[in-house]
Formats: sequence, structure tokens, C-alpha cells
Amino acid sequence: MGNTLEEHIKRTRQLLECGEVAMVIGYERGSVENRRRATFVKEVSELERMVLDGLCCENLANYLVREELLRSFDGKKVAIFLTTAGVRSVNILAAEGQINPDCVIILGFEAEKPGELDSAIKMLDGEHVDHYADSIQQLKSRGFVNDRAQVIVKLEMMSAEERFAFWREQFSRCVKCYACRQVCPMCYCRRCIVDCNQPQWINASAHDLGNLEWNLVRAFHLAGRCVGCGNCEQACPAGIPLMLLNQRMAQEVLKEFNHFAGESSTQLPVLADFKKDDPETFIL
Amino acid sequence: MTKEFEPKIVAFVCTYCTYAGADLAGTSRLKYAPNVRIVKLPCTGRISPMFILKALQKGADGVLISGCHPGDCHFTSGNLHARRRWTVFRSLLNFVGIPDERIWVSWISAAEGNKFAEIINEMTEKLKTLGPFEPYKTLIRDIESPAEI
Amino acid sequence: MAQILEKNKLDEMIARLNGDGCEVFGPRKNDTSSWYGKISRAEEFCFDQILPDRPLKELFFPRTEPMMKYEIKKQQVDAENYVLPKKQRVIFGARPCDAVSLTIDDALFAWDACDEFWFERRENSVIVSIACNKKDDFCMCTSLKSSPDVSTGSDVLLHELVDSAGWRVSAITPAGQDFIDKLGDVFSTTSTDVSVKPPAEVPVKFDLDAVIRKLNSPEIFESDFWKTISVRCVGCGVCTFVCPTCHCFDIQDEGDVYHGVRRKNWDSCSFAMFTRHASGHNPRPDQASRWRQRIMHKFNYYLERFGQISCTGCGRCSRVCPVDMGVTQTLVTLSTNGGK
Repeated sequence: MGNTLEEHIKRTRQLLECGEVAMVIGYERGSVENRRRATFVKEVSELERMVLDGLCCENLANYLVREELLRSFDGKKVAIFLTTAGVRSVNILAAEGQINPDCVIILGFEAEKPGELDSAIKMLDGEHVDHYADSIQQLKSRGFVNDRAQVIVKLEMMSAEERFAFWREQFSRCVKCYACRQVCPMCYCRRCIVDCNQPQWINASAHDLGNLEWNLVRAFHLAGRCVGCGNCEQACPAGIPLMLLNQRMAQEVLKEFNHFAGESSTQLPVLADFKKDDPETFIL
Repeated sequence: MTKEFEPKIVAFVCTYCTYAGADLAGTSRLKYAPNVRIVKLPCTGRISPMFILKALQKGADGVLISGCHPGDCHFTSGNLHARRRWTVFRSLLNFVGIPDERIWVSWISAAEGNKFAEIINEMTEKLKTLGPFEPYKTLIRDIESPAEI
Repeated sequence: MAQILEKNKLDEMIARLNGDGCEVFGPRKNDTSSWYGKISRAEEFCFDQILPDRPLKELFFPRTEPMMKYEIKKQQVDAENYVLPKKQRVIFGARPCDAVSLTIDDALFAWDACDEFWFERRENSVIVSIACNKKDDFCMCTSLKSSPDVSTGSDVLLHELVDSAGWRVSAITPAGQDFIDKLGDVFSTTSTDVSVKPPAEVPVKFDLDAVIRKLNSPEIFESDFWKTISVRCVGCGVCTFVCPTCHCFDIQDEGDVYHGVRRKNWDSCSFAMFTRHASGHNPRPDQASRWRQRIMHKFNYYLERFGQISCTGCGRCSRVCPVDMGVTQTLVTLSTNGGK
């Protein structure tokens, strides 16, 4: 499989040389042994610093909507290393009119054991988001079978008071650094709702009420949009299990509306769409 | 004797159906619980989850969202969009421990003054049995409590 | 001759302090994070971490603090200040780099107006630090001309004994001596010399003087260096919130027109909102200029104004940065060839 990484590198070299892309977004070695971080390559000579291994977990799609970077693209295409989750992010960004998917050249990969240095890396075929339609469908049909789903079931078996106490304790550690928002490819708003003060909907302070409100709003805005890349949970300095909320929402929209975030670049956002026969058992 | 707990209900209603329904309840001299405060909006599609958070923040014990029956929306599909929104938002609230029983959604048409009165009464009764929304009220009170350290 | 505090005497120490009406704080930990928190039993202490995730400043400058309550009535406005509980406290087991941070921020909080919240808590607290004998890849106190067993900011400094059974106790300030005298026989005295673990060997990562010189040079401010070095910054506030010396805050009135609380909240220079004017104009329009501000503030402006560097070398910023940027790399680059 190692060979195919070389093929990716060969392809990026080619793209840079012929000037088709303005930049390649990939990974490089981080500040310490077990860290990898984003790198932005504009010259062929810089290609050698790129790496790809099991530690490359960050969803780089976030950088596709960073204003400072966008300016430097200069109308050209961008090549970017993405996992399937990353491709789904691109789909959503395209569906929401944030980027043109034809301007993104995908260098797909998947780690067998993400987070582990010696994990095998599988290269994925397809440079355009449309080429990933089948594999995303497979993910959708698999649903949410993971450890997190079990924790969610456990939480749902608690009483409302117990759940409230659980989340209050979790959110009490939130310092409102907004790292969860800043690393999320879906949080591209120029002015976030918490930064609005006319009116000020939710408390800006990092007390328990403000923290609960912030985390509710964040989770709701990602309902049906989160692709589960885990950037937010990874970034949270307080170790709040944000992905439990995100996955609970993703399960909800899959169950109720058969919606799986980022299926295609033309998929309507789940809350901007409706069907006449959507379930409404709870409505009196 | 302690005074019976009177829940505060905030009802976000659309102007075309439920507000007219509430109006009908009034003009028909129907008696219903005085615990509700009505906030009139153009359409259920205009009701943002922020409104619900704000109501809770200001001490509501229950929230009602009500609008036109599917097919009756003045803007054709505002209520159908809202239906999805409340499905998702209620499940989120429920997941963090803000129970469904406090967030009610209903379709009440301009002709259903009776239904409006019934739902308000029913909701008030239910919230009386649930009692004040203590966990949330603790959070609100904590904002004003002085530093512990 | 040396004074020793044995680890099995910690419960006795806590009980004695609590008995005197003094609260004990120290490093704590759960599954997902660690912080300086209130301690009621010795087993709650967690001394075996390099340093808690959250900085010591939290105990003096909480992330959100009520300052004043107001109520507007028909004829008058009632305003009531919040008063601190004025409890004596001992912070036991602080890291030296965290203790140093308090003296750095003292200068800022006493600058033009005296911040009473900060100084009341400062006066009511005794800081007992434990010298570090372990380090990780991010520790850089030595690069800041400090050390893992620096005594600045501490009232008492402890060195762990070779057999890990306790600490050698040294009073640094009169308040520290008071603390030792008051606890009396909780400490044991040995007539012989005791051996303590050597301080951690923290490698020097950059030349601080070179960094300062570079930041003083006129061309650095407009240099492209800031753009290059901050390219992956996503503009969250983690590095500033975990920084023991970052002290920027925002004043927020929370409530409605007639009734509310005025609070002091942590703020961060890496947020775009930090400098945005009401007109919409933002004098720091991009992440590069915000990152420049953060570095310049710590290593140039603060030095100029207060004669100190506003960094203790704890390394938290680099440890938690979600995109692995941190201050360290910027400083290393500045001290060598970068920033031309």
C-alpha cells in the first residue's frame, strides 16, 4: 500500500508543476514525536516535508473555508488530503454554497487504526467528491455502530435529572475558548451567534448556564451537518465529550429523516428541507 | 398553607392560525389557565430555538410552540420546516436533560379556539405535577451568586 | 538541619488548616482534565502530573466573575458590589512556573487602577510550590531564564525526597515561615542533611535575549514572518485561556434592561471580536496580526512597561494547541534566523 502514497505525492508534484493547483493542504511532522499537523505546500521543493500516517487525524477541510488562505488560492484549485469524513465535509460546504467542489482535488486516504502511528494507510481512489458517493452510501447503511452509541444508550436510560446533572458537570469545565467552533469545518459563520449582542441570545460568560446554552446551540447548529470527524472533541481543552452530542443528533436525523450528512454536494441541509410525511408523533 | 405552584408558560405562536385560535378562545369567552404568555410571530418557521433558550433563561417552566396544521401554512411550508426543527431540537434538549414534557408543540388552527384552551389547561396541569423546572432555575440563580473562592 | 513534610501527614495538615478556617487548594484530576481545586482529603491531591491542564490564575482571576448587581427602578438605580468571601487559603502543590505567573500579573493588576479582586485573593493566599523533578517535551522554563525549582512567587518551596516519602520544606517569604511555624509538629526536623531529587533537566530551546532583540528591531512588525508562522492558526482562545499570565478580560452586563449582573470574563487576543470596532473595522484583521500581538505583548510591550517577560515557560499553550502551533516554535524561529 505504501506505493500508492507515492502515487499521491507524484500526483501532487504534477499538479503543482503544471500550476493547476495553488496549494496542497496535507500533513507534516508536528512539534513533538507523536504529533502531526497541517501543512500548506505551494512549491514542489516543499513536498518533501509532507507525511501521511495513522497520526494524521485532523480533518483538514476546515482550512478550505479559512479566509486568509482562500485569498491566496487566487481562483486556482486546491489539492487536499482528506478521509471520507473530510470528503463529506466538502460535500456539505459545497451544498451550502461555501466552496465550489470542482475546485477541490481530493487526495483520499483512510487509516485502519486512526491515532496509531503504525496504522496501515489505505489510499482512496477519486479526486472529485462525486467519486466518493458509493463509499459514503456504504457508511450510511452501516449506521452508527460504535462505542459512543453504547454510551448514548446508557445516557438515555438515565432519568432527565440524572442526564441534566451529567451534562452540567461536563459543561462546567467549559472555558468558552471556542476551540470546538474554530476547528470545525462547518462553523464558517463570519459572526457566530454567541458573538451577536443585538440581541444577546445566550450568555457569553463561562458560568454553568452560559456553558449549557453555548453547547446546546453548537450541537443544534451541527445537527445533520456534523460528519463526525472529531476535530471538536480533539481540540477541547476541557475534555468535554462533544461527539456524544453530535452523534446523538446525527442518529436522530438518520432515523427520522433518513438524512446522512454530506452524502453529496447537492444534498439539501436537513433543516432546510422537509417532506410532507415527515414524522410528527410528538405534535398535538 | 403554601401557595400552589403556578407554572409559567411561554407560547410562541404563528399569527395566522394559533394566534387567531387563541383570539377565538377569547371572543368565545372560553376560560383557560392564566399561566400562559403568548408571543406572536409571523409563522412557526420564524420560531428560532434561541427563543426557547431565552424563555428558559428567563425562568419559563414550559414552552409551547404552535402553528398551522400541515397544508394550512400561510407561507406554504413554514410549519413543515418547523416540524423538522422541533423534532431535532426537542431530542437535543431531551438528551441533555431538559425533558420533552416541558417543550410542547401543537397545530391549532384559527377555528380551534377550543383546542387552544384545552392544550393550555392540559399543559398547565401537567407542569403543575412536574413542579418548577428546578435544575434550570438553579443555573439561573447561580449567575447571581457570589464567587466561592 | 532540615524540615520535612511527610506525605502521610497531609491529612493532618489539611485538618489543622481547615480547623483554623483556612481552605486548602491543590492540583486535582479526573478522567479528562486536571486543575487547581479545593481539597478536603489528601487522596484528592494529584502530584504526579507535570502540571495541571488549567493554570493557577483561575484561583485569583476566575474565568467569569460577578462584580456588581444592578436594578433599575422607577425613581432610582440600585447597585450592589460583590464582596469576596475573604477566606484564608493555602495553595499546596503549585508548580513553580505557575507561582511565578502570579508575580508577573501583579504588575498588570496594580498598573493604573488596583484590581481588588486579584489583590484580595493574593493577600489571603499562601503558595506552597513543589519543585519539578519531571518534565515533558513542552516544558521550557529554562529558556525563559527561570528554572524547575525557582522560588519566585512561592511562599514555601518543597523538594521531593529521594525516597518519595515526603518533601524538604524551605520558607521563602515571611508568610511562608508563618505557615510553617503555625503547623509546627506536622513537620519533622532532621539534624542530618536529607537528599532530595534533583530538579528536572529542562533543555534550553531558544535564546531569550535573541528573541527580545529581534522583537525590538523595527522591521519585524511588518514582516511576513507573522503570516508564515501563524498560517495554521484557527483563532481559538485555548492558548490564552490556559496561559498562566494571560490576563485580558471583557466586561459584560448580563440580564435585561432593568436588572442584571456585571461580570468580568476572560477574553482572548486571538478572537477576531477582540478588537473589532463598532463600525465593523478591525485593526487586527487577520490571524497573523493577532498572533503578532500575542507574541509582542508577552515579549516586548510587557517587558517595556513592567520590566518582565509575560511568560513563565510552562508550555501549556503548545501542549493544548489543537493545530500544534504554540508559542515555542515562534520563539525558536525568532531566536535563530526567522523574522527577517
